[in-house]
Amino acid sequence: MTRSSANRSLVRSHRDDVRLWRTVSPWGVGILVVLAVMAPFHTSDFQNTIAVYAGVAAIGGMGLNLLTGFTGQVSLGHAAFLAVGAYTGAYLGQELELPLLLWLPGAALAGALVGAVVGPFALRLRGNYLAIITIGLVFIAQHVFANWTSVSGGQNGRSVTAPVAVGPVDFASLEVLGRSFTRDQGFVFLVWGLVGLVALTMKNLTRSRTGLAMQAVRDRDRAAEAIGVRLARYKVLAFVLSSSLGAMAGALHGSYQRYIHPGEFSLTVSITYIAIIVIGGIGIVFGPILGALFVTLVPRLIEEISPSLPFVSTDTAGGGFMTVFSLNQAIFGLLIVLFLVLEPRGLAAMWLRLRLYFRAWPFSY
Amino acid sequence: MTDFLQLCFAGLALGARYALVALGFVVIYKATGVINFAQGAFVALGAYLAFNFRQTWGLPFAVSLVLAVLVGASIGAGTERLLLHRMVGRPLFALIMMTVGILFVLNEVITWIWGQRTLNLGDPWGQDKVTVGDVVLPVKDLWTLGLAAVVLAGFFAFFRWSDLGLAMRATALDQEAAMARGVDVKRVFTLSWAVSAGVAALAGVTLAAGPAALSPGIWLIALAAFPAMILGGLDSPGGAVIGGLLIGVVQTLTAGYQPQHLPWLGESFHVIMPYVVMIAILMVRPYGLYGTKEVVRL
Amino acid sequence: MSHPRVFRIVAIFCAASLLAAACGDDDTETGADTSVPAEDDASADTTPTTAGEPEAAAGFDGGTIRLGVLVPLSGLPSLIGNPLAAGQEAYWAYVNEELGGIAGRYQVEVVLEDTLYEINTTVQKYNKIKDNVVLFAQVMGTPHNQALLPLLRDDNIVATPASQDSMWIREQQMLPIIAPYQVDVINAIAYYLDEGGGSVDDTICAVVENDVYGEAGLEGLEFAADHNGFDLAQVSRFDLGDSDFTAQITALKNASCDLVFATALPSEFNGLITTADTLGFAPRWIGQSPSWVDVFAGTGLIGYYQEHVWIVATGPGADPTASEFHELLYSYRPDQKPDNYFVFGGYQARAVHQVLEQAIERGDLSREGIIEAMNGIKVLDFDDVIGDYGFGPPEDRDPSRLSSMFEVDPSKAFALGALKVNFTSDAAEAYEVPGGR
Repeated sequence: MTRSSANRSLVRSHRDDVRLWRTVSPWGVGILVVLAVMAPFHTSDFQNTIAVYAGVAAIGGMGLNLLTGFTGQVSLGHAAFLAVGAYTGAYLGQELELPLLLWLPGAALAGALVGAVVGPFALRLRGNYLAIITIGLVFIAQHVFANWTSVSGGQNGRSVTAPVAVGPVDFASLEVLGRSFTRDQGFVFLVWGLVGLVALTMKNLTRSRTGLAMQAVRDRDRAAEAIGVRLARYKVLAFVLSSSLGAMAGALHGSYQRYIHPGEFSLTVSITYIAIIVIGGIGIVFGPILGALFVTLVPRLIEEISPSLPFVSTDTAGGGFMTVFSLNQAIFGLLIVLFLVLEPRGLAAMWLRLRLYFRAWPFSY
Repeated sequence: MTDFLQLCFAGLALGARYALVALGFVVIYKATGVINFAQGAFVALGAYLAFNFRQTWGLPFAVSLVLAVLVGASIGAGTERLLLHRMVGRPLFALIMMTVGILFVLNEVITWIWGQRTLNLGDPWGQDKVTVGDVVLPVKDLWTLGLAAVVLAGFFAFFRWSDLGLAMRATALDQEAAMARGVDVKRVFTLSWAVSAGVAALAGVTLAAGPAALSPGIWLIALAAFPAMILGGLDSPGGAVIGGLLIGVVQTLTAGYQPQHLPWLGESFHVIMPYVVMIAILMVRPYGLYGTKEVVRL
Repeated sequence: MSHPRVFRIVAIFCAASLLAAACGDDDTETGADTSVPAEDDASADTTPTTAGEPEAAAGFDGGTIRLGVLVPLSGLPSLIGNPLAAGQEAYWAYVNEELGGIAGRYQVEVVLEDTLYEINTTVQKYNKIKDNVVLFAQVMGTPHNQALLPLLRDDNIVATPASQDSMWIREQQMLPIIAPYQVDVINAIAYYLDEGGGSVDDTICAVVENDVYGEAGLEGLEFAADHNGFDLAQVSRFDLGDSDFTAQITALKNASCDLVFATALPSEFNGLITTADTLGFAPRWIGQSPSWVDVFAGTGLIGYYQEHVWIVATGPGADPTASEFHELLYSYRPDQKPDNYFVFGGYQARAVHQVLEQAIERGDLSREGIIEAMNGIKVLDFDDVIGDYGFGPPEDRDPSRLSSMFEVDPSKAFALGALKVNFTSDAAEAYEVPGGR
């Protein structure tokens, strides 16, 4: 897969050529920023909660996208990195009482280390074999954490009180201009701020030499090696970066939810992340953001409309032959199938095409 | 000593189930290069279909079994025709995800039709047993081993001596060359899915046999069969069986002896033991015990 | 684009001014945390509203009281979640229709949300309805309740966990209603030793699930062992989802156990029994109540179950005729098959009813009012259907010590026939629930 040609519009100067976002207009950015900042004021705690979980999924998804979408290493083991990050963050933030600026990078570092250990396996194994080894990784991680009771609380789970303050700014009880925010609102700012940072970093990374090397590994790895792209280096690097982002997502998840349980980091979670990048758009930086929003919002949407669907039972009296959850799962599976068949480059590609259509109008054929 | 033998037999029986599931995976992989993550759902489907024929429609058990295999096979073929066909030539992980999507949908459809409750399959083997010395051999386990052996022999004969089997082997080796020689590759693909789903149905029935053993969670065995399949080599049916038996025995022996002798490995270590073994073997033989090494053009 | 910097500055200025404007209108729906406490302080304060006619508060509009229920309504756990919630709804239907509402005045509305048995969904649903309910009349799932605990503390909301875990007993935010698992185990052993034909010289063993639930059972067993003066000869463990139990049964068989206590869930319990029958191992089995589902009575193992398996549970069982309360509950859900969880939901609702009545008497249905009401109740009364629960502030709470023993009987409701209902033992009375968090 090469970069979408929709990204490359006609450029007239070198400066335009190297800009990160070629199509940005300051007006547009300004309006978006305003809307983004204003949004949490007018949403309920419920919606904010969903936004936080979506943001966390976006960060994890961008990590996985780097590994699978850009470097072509199929990994079903993302849940393991989330677990590592969650428990490390919990330990550093609660037991060692470190501040946010230490426990979050600490968790990311732990994830990176685990990624560095797993990475070399990718050198030995390819494709299907690698995918299945990563499944094993999830189970092993679950086993380790379920048994490492001093850190994880075992099957009881553990509470997490990791502080989220950056200097004087405490996201859990934010006060700006005399107005106080709820914890959920604060977390929306924190998590989505991080999403922005990560996206920016990823955008730069994929355009850099490293990013190009990774894509070469994805497209034709043996040929890449032949022309001097060291596979060992880039495959392991991909795992390291991907797992550190996954760990970061896990740590944020733990700190927000204030409770983590080994059962939360299951194979289903790994599969959900793959779905996020597939639906969002593999190999496109902002794809996982769309994917995460989609995957987090669609179940809630389906719940909203299911009372009006006669074959769905929404309460204890039954009524339909399928439950909302069942419908959710089925739709989820169906969407994965549909996206793969009809729009393999996901929501991101749909968005890019839409944008191109409007930009090229009235010559949009 | 008796304990050891008992555990070994239980391990072989469990392993035979893994082997049947792994065989299903291998058939599809061998012909099409796809790992069918939905295999677990086909296992469950087969078991539920057998339940339907046996308990809901009251047919004799043997008939139910055969019907379940046939119907399962047709559903497998149908899935291939409808969905996998369009994915020819697409990157590996898109194929994986497609099968995952099918897994989700199939699992839900099963609960829509048959509900969530645990059911009785109604097999004739029940709790019958045969005792050899001090070791107890449940009849249903003996049947499982027998069926697995028959299936394996059938596969061997099929691949070796039949035209269709030859066609499948040719397709597995090189699709283009096979097409050039007149092999109907599309038919081969569909057939491989059909066979795989049929074998899965058989696996499902042996799994669900016994009192109150049929529940929607039955598809999870497919996850446990992964190590078996990898261990043996993704494209080797014989390897799948050997891998399955090996993993089964290793798992039961671990469950039997680890809590006493190696408790520091944690509770229920036997659950991940297959994966540990798999990783260890893959480090030494990255294509499994009997898998063929890939030769790839640059 | 010319002068991009200028545009940027203008954009930021616009953003800032819009921001200020947004800050200006204070009256948003999100400020639950900032606005509600102010109201409550006023009402919980000195000016008593007419006792019995509380002011409007979160979840209460002056006429209808709304209660939250968070259970899995889909997936495998819905087999428990559905009847659990149905029990609640049946009870409140009774209250609304027969009694005219709580205190004869206030109708009750149940706000039901499906948690999918997932922790993050439970948290999301909690946030969705917390501002619309007076309290949570039912939350299912031990880890789910644990996840909600910090949130409950922050928001000062009360929840009723649908479990027999002992960890809720000392939590201010939690409303436990029933004897913990440990008590059931202790009573079961007492029954075995007194009337069940067992003695302390027997070889007594256990097989438990590898989690909180299993640990609770084991804890009770160890207390019983201590109290009665025997040792546990063999303790085997298994995981949820295991399909092969040869190892565990072989170990138990080798220890020649006379009695095996099992803390398990249905699939695994059935697996254990099946393997035991296969291997010719037939001790006296006692299973903890969640181990049993009636579908086992329809299998070829029924003979084994009838001869060797007892179940210990709280309350008289699922039979619709077991008590007036049962008859009442089932009458509001005529299609409901006999189910222990249905009845449990009813018990929970009854407990919540008492708390709410207290609160109404005190004239305060706010968050603080509920807490005070809870702490002011001396006893949660269940009309002798299940044991009374000594209540009050968390340090004083004293759960009931009554359990019931059942044998497998396909002719009875839920295939369980009562051997002895609502009994206690010295050991159970001596058992102290751990204090503190």
